[in-house]
Amino acid sequence: MSIRAFRLLAAALSTVFVFFGSASTAFAADPEVVRFGWFGGPRPWVIGKANGMFDKALGTKVEWVQFPSGAAALTSLAAKQVDISRLGSTPTVAAISRKVPIEFIAISGIIVTSERLIAKSGINNVAELKGKRVAFPPGSTAHYALMAALKVNNIPANQLTLVSLTPADMVAAWKRGDIDAAYVWGPFSQTMEGDGGKEILATEQLQKNGYYVWNDYVVRKEFADKYPEIVVKFLQAFQQTVDMYNQDKEGMVKLIAQHLNQNEAAVRDTLAGLRFPSMKEQLSSKLLGEGGSIAPAMLDTARFLVELGDLRQSEIPPSYKPFINTSYMERAVR
Amino acid sequence: MPRLYLRLVSVAAVLVVIGAWFIAAKLQLVDPLFLPGPIEVMTTAEQLIDEGYRQVSLWMHILVSVARALFAFFIAAITGIPIGLLMGRSPIFNAVLDPFVQFLRPLPKLALIPLVVVWFGIGEVSKFVLIYLSTFLTIVVSAASAVMSVPEGRIRAAQSLGVNRQQLFRHVILPSALPELFTGVRVGIGIGWTTLIAAEMIAASSGLGWMVINASSYLRTDVVMLGILLLGTIGYLLDLAIVTTQRLMVHWMGKG
Repeated sequence: MSIRAFRLLAAALSTVFVFFGSASTAFAADPEVVRFGWFGGPRPWVIGKANGMFDKALGTKVEWVQFPSGAAALTSLAAKQVDISRLGSTPTVAAISRKVPIEFIAISGIIVTSERLIAKSGINNVAELKGKRVAFPPGSTAHYALMAALKVNNIPANQLTLVSLTPADMVAAWKRGDIDAAYVWGPFSQTMEGDGGKEILATEQLQKNGYYVWNDYVVRKEFADKYPEIVVKFLQAFQQTVDMYNQDKEGMVKLIAQHLNQNEAAVRDTLAGLRFPSMKEQLSSKLLGEGGSIAPAMLDTARFLVELGDLRQSEIPPSYKPFINTSYMERAVR
Repeated sequence: MPRLYLRLVSVAAVLVVIGAWFIAAKLQLVDPLFLPGPIEVMTTAEQLIDEGYRQVSLWMHILVSVARALFAFFIAAITGIPIGLLMGRSPIFNAVLDPFVQFLRPLPKLALIPLVVVWFGIGEVSKFVLIYLSTFLTIVVSAASAVMSVPEGRIRAAQSLGVNRQQLFRHVILPSALPELFTGVRVGIGIGWTTLIAAEMIAASSGLGWMVINASSYLRTDVVMLGILLLGTIGYLLDLAIVTTQRLMVHWMGKG
């Protein structure tokens, strides 16, 4: 009896070990499929989703994995369920600090006005948010921007009620009058604006106080080491979609809106609220190059997450520069 | 003797698993991101007790979650048991309610979140509704089936002795159905506790479920692990409380 019990236990334990062990074994030669993480929002690269450009450029099948927020994408990156993902600056910093093996390969867009603070009529500026209920998607770039806005305006967080909601729930709460303001991106921001909301701040205005918020592409390091060519081709194809958008904004807005089943005006507005720096600009000393502003901005974001209690001080590296790998972009522009 | 022996086996099994966890963490067999070790989790627990998680102390998170679950559970029991008993006794009543109960019960409660937010907002009410609903439905179904499974012969025997409806219910049906009813209540509290995470996904800023979800946004697997251990332990204690009550109240269970 007892021997049998122990055998059973041993079998159960070895299954556990095999399970965890297999999680770390590498996979076979060529990627049958490359998995992209995205969030369903309108972006130039959606053009490539609609017309199959990425499949063609990469010479392999592309699977688009949609996440409700960066938080969910993080977990999937850690679990190796996604190879390349667009990610907001805040989740990117959180992932790198938590030692998820990923590399920052390029900026996909700098947030200018695509994320903004929408408030009910009667609230005209950030200072008037005192005592109000303000919603934000937890762990997002908008969350970071909201906290930065409060700091810039010297409002302690305990003087208002902060409500963490997914963007979709935010719209529901807004319609019911459960929240007075929300910091969010399109198409949700436009829905609220169409329902009596008014913009009181856009992320762009925080730049002068040194708060940079952007979206980027990250790749699993293991994947990039194995298939560097794919990463380069991906960046080239992405740049092509940005060029296509820049050449024919109205046509591309229509295409993206149709593909995503979203309102055209909201798509136009969101795309106009993003700035897409060229790869040359990205590689310059302005952004990702030597002395660029992104690596220090990542450190600021990390400090902010420590302040919130979401990261530990001991996890923060002295610099985020080593996690930015511009070599793929350098090859892509060649 | 065999009972004590089995209990010792259980304790040993738990210790072996904890030991394996400890060794796996110590030897770094698994990436600490995926499986933070017991020591790291304990350190995190200490830190959360001292400093709290997101400005709320760990005890408060526990208290809030237990209060949410227990309150919804009690209301579900108070409403669910009578309705279930009635459904078991009255075929008409059963015919009216059964389709709704059977439709709602297997429904994943996560799917209801968007509607619950639209209908009840983002406050405590919507959290209550979610936990209440899943607990209530489980209790109703098991109460109804408990009554229906009272042996027909026993009811006939009592009727032939001339009991009235009230006596029949009080002295025959209820005592016969009580053991199964308790099992239903026990399953109900378990399901209610499980729904807690779903409930706390809605605009919460405290509670164990919320803590786990929020920590997962930043891949703080140590906090997630701690939350899971606490959720599991509290769930176990709640179950134990019900089983103990059952043993005290339904002493005739399994004896006739």
